[in-house]
Amino acid sequence: MRSGLLFSESQSRIDRLQIGALTGLMVIGALFVYSATMVSESAAVAAWYSQSWFRQIVWYVLGSGAGVVVCLVDYRTLARWSYVFYWGAILLLVAVLIPGIGSMRFGARRWIDLGFFQFQPSEFAKLAFILAQANFLSRPPDELRIGGNFLKALGLLALPFLLIMKEPDLGSALVFLPTGLVMMFVAGVPGRFLTRLLGIVGILGALFLVDVLFAPPNWQIKLEEYQRRRLLVYFGIQQTPPSDASKVDRERLRKQQFDDSHNVRQALISVGSGGLTGKGWRQGTQNALGYLPRAVAHNDFIFSVIAEEQGFVGSVVVLTLYGVVLFCGIRVAGQARDRLGKTVAVGVVTLLFSHVFINIGMNIRLMPVTGVPLPLLSYGGSSVLSSLIAMGMLQNIYIYRKAY
Amino acid sequence: MLIFDQLRKNDPQLRAVALAALAGLGVLLAGLWWVQVISGRQYQSNLETQSFRTIRVPAMRGSILDRNGVPLAENQPAYHVSLYLEELRPQFDAAFTVEIARVRAGLQAALEQREAQLGRGLSREEKKRFSLGLKEKNAIRQQVRYAVASNVVFEVGRRVKVPLALDRPDFERHYQARLALPYPVLRYLKAEQIARFEEQPLRMPGVDLEIQSTRVYPHDGSAAHLLGSLRRDDSSTDGEESFFSYRLADYRGELGIEFGFDRQLRGTAGAKSVLVNNVGYRQTEHVWSQIEPGSNVVLTLDLRIQQAAERALQSGPRGANTAGAAVVMDVNSGDILALVSSPTLNPNHFVQGFPRGEWKRITDVHAQKNRATQENYAPGSIFKIVVALAALEAGLNPHATLSVPANPMRPTRGYYQLGRRTIRDLAPPGTYDFKRALKLSSNTYFITQALRTGPERIVNLARRFHFGERFGLPTRQETGGNLPALERVRGRWTDGNTANLSIGQDPVLVTPLQVAVMTSAVANGGKVLWPRLVQRIEPVDTFSSQPPTVFPAGRVRDELGVKPGNLAILAEAMLADTEDSDGTGRHVRDHAPLEGLRICAKTGTAEVQDEDNAADGQTTWFASFAPYEKPKYAVVVMVENGASGGGTCGPIAGKIYQALMELEKTAPNGQLAEARPKGAR
Repeated sequence: MRSGLLFSESQSRIDRLQIGALTGLMVIGALFVYSATMVSESAAVAAWYSQSWFRQIVWYVLGSGAGVVVCLVDYRTLARWSYVFYWGAILLLVAVLIPGIGSMRFGARRWIDLGFFQFQPSEFAKLAFILAQANFLSRPPDELRIGGNFLKALGLLALPFLLIMKEPDLGSALVFLPTGLVMMFVAGVPGRFLTRLLGIVGILGALFLVDVLFAPPNWQIKLEEYQRRRLLVYFGIQQTPPSDASKVDRERLRKQQFDDSHNVRQALISVGSGGLTGKGWRQGTQNALGYLPRAVAHNDFIFSVIAEEQGFVGSVVVLTLYGVVLFCGIRVAGQARDRLGKTVAVGVVTLLFSHVFINIGMNIRLMPVTGVPLPLLSYGGSSVLSSLIAMGMLQNIYIYRKAY
Repeated sequence: MLIFDQLRKNDPQLRAVALAALAGLGVLLAGLWWVQVISGRQYQSNLETQSFRTIRVPAMRGSILDRNGVPLAENQPAYHVSLYLEELRPQFDAAFTVEIARVRAGLQAALEQREAQLGRGLSREEKKRFSLGLKEKNAIRQQVRYAVASNVVFEVGRRVKVPLALDRPDFERHYQARLALPYPVLRYLKAEQIARFEEQPLRMPGVDLEIQSTRVYPHDGSAAHLLGSLRRDDSSTDGEESFFSYRLADYRGELGIEFGFDRQLRGTAGAKSVLVNNVGYRQTEHVWSQIEPGSNVVLTLDLRIQQAAERALQSGPRGANTAGAAVVMDVNSGDILALVSSPTLNPNHFVQGFPRGEWKRITDVHAQKNRATQENYAPGSIFKIVVALAALEAGLNPHATLSVPANPMRPTRGYYQLGRRTIRDLAPPGTYDFKRALKLSSNTYFITQALRTGPERIVNLARRFHFGERFGLPTRQETGGNLPALERVRGRWTDGNTANLSIGQDPVLVTPLQVAVMTSAVANGGKVLWPRLVQRIEPVDTFSSQPPTVFPAGRVRDELGVKPGNLAILAEAMLADTEDSDGTGRHVRDHAPLEGLRICAKTGTAEVQDEDNAADGQTTWFASFAPYEKPKYAVVVMVENGASGGGTCGPIAGKIYQALMELEKTAPNGQLAEARPKGAR
C-alpha cells in the first residue's frame, strides 16, 4: 500500500534530519546577524522591522515558502522547464551588466535594485544552471561519450561563468567550476574528458595566477584592481613600488597593502581569539570595535563572528550542521529515482559545499578572500532565497524517490 | 555511518563525492582546530596588543589644607601636547625607505664612476666601500626619525603659535629608553594654546593633547618650606602592578609635609586597560585595579597668619631676601599657626620646571633650607630665659641688685671680667636688679648669676625644655640644635664655658621652633608641648566611613617643674622688656599700634663666628608671647645678620601681633587658634 508507506515511521516523505539541520543553521544565522549588526548605535536605534536580523528572518520565512513551493511540483516537471529558467537567468545576468539596470556597489555590478530588495541574479543563475545541466546530462550515458555533447555541457557551464566573471564576481563564478565538474562526473561523463578538462582548467588557472601576480602591467589580464590585490594578499606577495614612485604614491601603496591584508588578518584574529569555547554571544570585540570591518562582518565574514563568540565548539556545531545537510543531500542523490534527480542533488550538494568551503576557508586563510556568502548564515536575501530553494529541490527529489 | 551504508550498493561516483565532501569538511575542521585551539593563545595576544593598552593611573594626590580648610596644595588639570611615537612609525619607515634608496643610488653612482676611472670592475673587497653597513643604516634611520618628528613638532608649534624645536639628544634618549611612552612636546598649555590646538580640523597623526592632574600650590611661596616639594616618579610602589604600557605622570613627596605624609597623600595608584578600536580611538576603559585617592592632610597652620608673618618677615632688612624665620605657636595647644622661612621659593617650579636663573638664586641664598627647623643658630640673649629660671629656682632674689662697672674702652657699656677675658656687654653700667637686667639684657648680671647657679642646673633645665633634641618632625627638614651634655658640664668645664652658655653663645645652638616651644612653656605655666603641625588626615570623600586620623592637640612633652611664682617674675620682666621705654623689645610697637595687647618678650643678638672664630655677622632674635594676662600666642622671629634683636626682629613680631589682633576681631568668638570641631571646614 503506497499510502501506508507514505507516512510510515521509517519511510517519511520528507527528510526530517536535513530540515532539522537547516532549521538549526537558520536559528544560528538570525542570532549572529543580530550579534554582528547590533553593535553600531545607528543600527540599534533603527526600528526593529528594519533591522538586519529581522529582515534575515523574513528572508528565512520567504525562502522556506519558496522551498515548499518547489516541492509541490515534481522535479521532472521542473526539469522540463529548466532551459527556460536557464535562459531567463542568462538574460538577467546580461541585464545586470547594463548600467541602467544593474546597480553598482563596491565597484561591481552584481545587483538589480528592486527598491525593497537588492536582487542578485548570480545566486539564482547557479540553481538554473544546476537544473539545466542536470537535464542535459540526464540523457542516456552513451550519448555522454560523444565529444560534442561534452562540449555542449561545457558551453552550458561557460556562459554564466563568463557573465558572472564580467560583473565581476570571481567567487560566485568560481563555484560553477566544481559544481559543473562534479555533476558531469556523477552523471557518467567519461573520465578521460574530465581529466583533460581538469588539466586544462588547472593549467589555465596556473597561467592566470602567474599572469595576474607576476606579469608586467601591460601583459596582465584585465582584472579589477581589488581582485588582484586580494590574490596578492592571499599568496603573501608584497608589491614593490616602482623606483620612480613619489613619496605619496609609496605611502598610498603601503596603506593599501595594509588595508588589503587587514580583513584577512582581523578575521584570523577573530576566529583564533575565540579559542575553544568563545567569548559568548555578543561579547566578541573584533566586530564590536570595528577591527572586523562592519560592512562585511554580517555577511561574508559572519563565520568570524560566530567563531569568535562561540569558539571552536561553535565552529564544530556549524560544520556539523552543514555536514548533516551535505550528507543528507548525498543520500538523496543515492536514493533518487533517476539520473536527473541524482545529478541535481549532487549539483546542489557541491554548490553548497563549495560555498561553505570557500567561505570558512577564507576566514582561516585557507582560501583567498572572495565574496562568497556562507549559505543561510550570511546576511542577504538572494543568498538565503536561493539556498532554501536549492534545499527545496533536494527535498523534492527525496519526496519522489525510488521507493514510490 | 548511516549514509555510507545506504550508498554501499550505489555507484562509486557518489561514494567519491561523499568522501571528497568529508575530506573537505575535515580540512576545515583541522584548520579551525589549528587556528582556534592550537594557536588560539597567540591570536588572543594579537587581539590584546592591537586593542588593549595598560596604563598606570596615579591616584589623585590628597590636598594639604590649612586649619580653616583653605587649600595650600591641590590638584588642577594641566594640558600637554605629546607625540605618540608608535603612531609615527609608518612615517618613520616610509621616510627611511626613501632616504636609503637615495643614499644607495649615490653610492652606486660613485661606484660606477670609480670603475670608469680605473677602467676595470672593482673587486668584491673594493666594492665594500660602496655598500651600507648596519651602522650606517641605523644612523640613517635615526636621522630620518628625527627629521619626521621634528617636522611634526614644528607643525604643532605652528598651530599653537609657539616656536618649538625638537631637542635631538633628548628625543633620541626618549626613543631608546621609553619608546612606549608618549614624548612630551609642549607642557602646561595656556587656555588659548589649547583652543588653537583643538580648533584644527584635522587631527595630526601621532600628536595628542593629554590632560593630567597637576599639583598646584595656589599661594606660590607661602608656607613653601613646610609644604615641601615633589619629585617626578612614576615607578610602582610595593604591592602594585609593575608592568604597564603607559604610566601617567606621578610625583612623590621629597620634602616637607609632601614627604612626611606622602603615603597618605598619594593614595594607591590604579591600573586600567583601555580598549581601542581599529583606528586607535578609545572605546572603553576597564579599571582592573581600583584607584584609591589620597587623603587630605589638614595642618594646624592658619594661612592668614602665615601670610601675615611672611609679609612681616619680608619687611626685614633685605626685603624678600631677608634670611630668617618666624614661628607663631598656640602656647596652650602647641599648634603651629605659622612657620615661615625666608627667602622662600615657589614649589610649583618643582612640578612645572624652574624659570631661567631661579635655581641659581635658590642655591645662592639657600632658599631650600627651612630656617625655622633646619638650621642651628646661637640663641644669644634669649637663652637668658633659661638662665633666669634656673637662677630663680636656685634661690636668686629678683630684687637683689648688682652693680655693673663701666667698660674702660666704651664708658657707656658695661663689661664682665672673667680672669684675663673681658666679656663685652651691650647694657650700660649701673645697678641692676633681675627685671632691669632682663629688659636691658645685661650680660654681666646673667654671667654673674649663672656662675652662682652653676652650669649643671642651667643645663638640667634646658634639657627639660628639650633643647638639643629633635621633635621628630615629619618633614625631613630638622636639626636638633645643640646642648652640652651633663657629663661634659660636670667634667672639663670652665667658668668661661658657663659665661658663654649664660649669654647663649657657643656650645648651645637652637632652632626657632625650639625657641617657640620654650617661650610657650614659659607662657603656659611650665608645660613643654609637642609642637603640632598636622591636625588630622581625613579621607577626601566626606561620606567615607573611614574615620580621619586625628593628632591630638596639647600633648605635653615635659613639665618644667618650676615654681609658678618664678614664671610670673620672669613674665613680668619680659613684659617690661617691651613696655618700658628702655626695654630692648620696645621696638615691637614701632610700626604697629597694638593697643591693649601686652607682650612679654626677650630679645637676643648672638655673634656668629665662622670656622676661624672670626666674627661673621650676628643672629638676631625676638622671642615673645602675648597677651600677658592670658597668654595665647608665642611669636618667635629670627633674622640672620640683623642689626639687633630688638631693632630688627621686634618690629617684625609687632606686625605679626597686629595681624593676629585684626584676625581676632573678625573671628567668630575672638578665638583664632581654637581647635574646630571634627570635619568642619
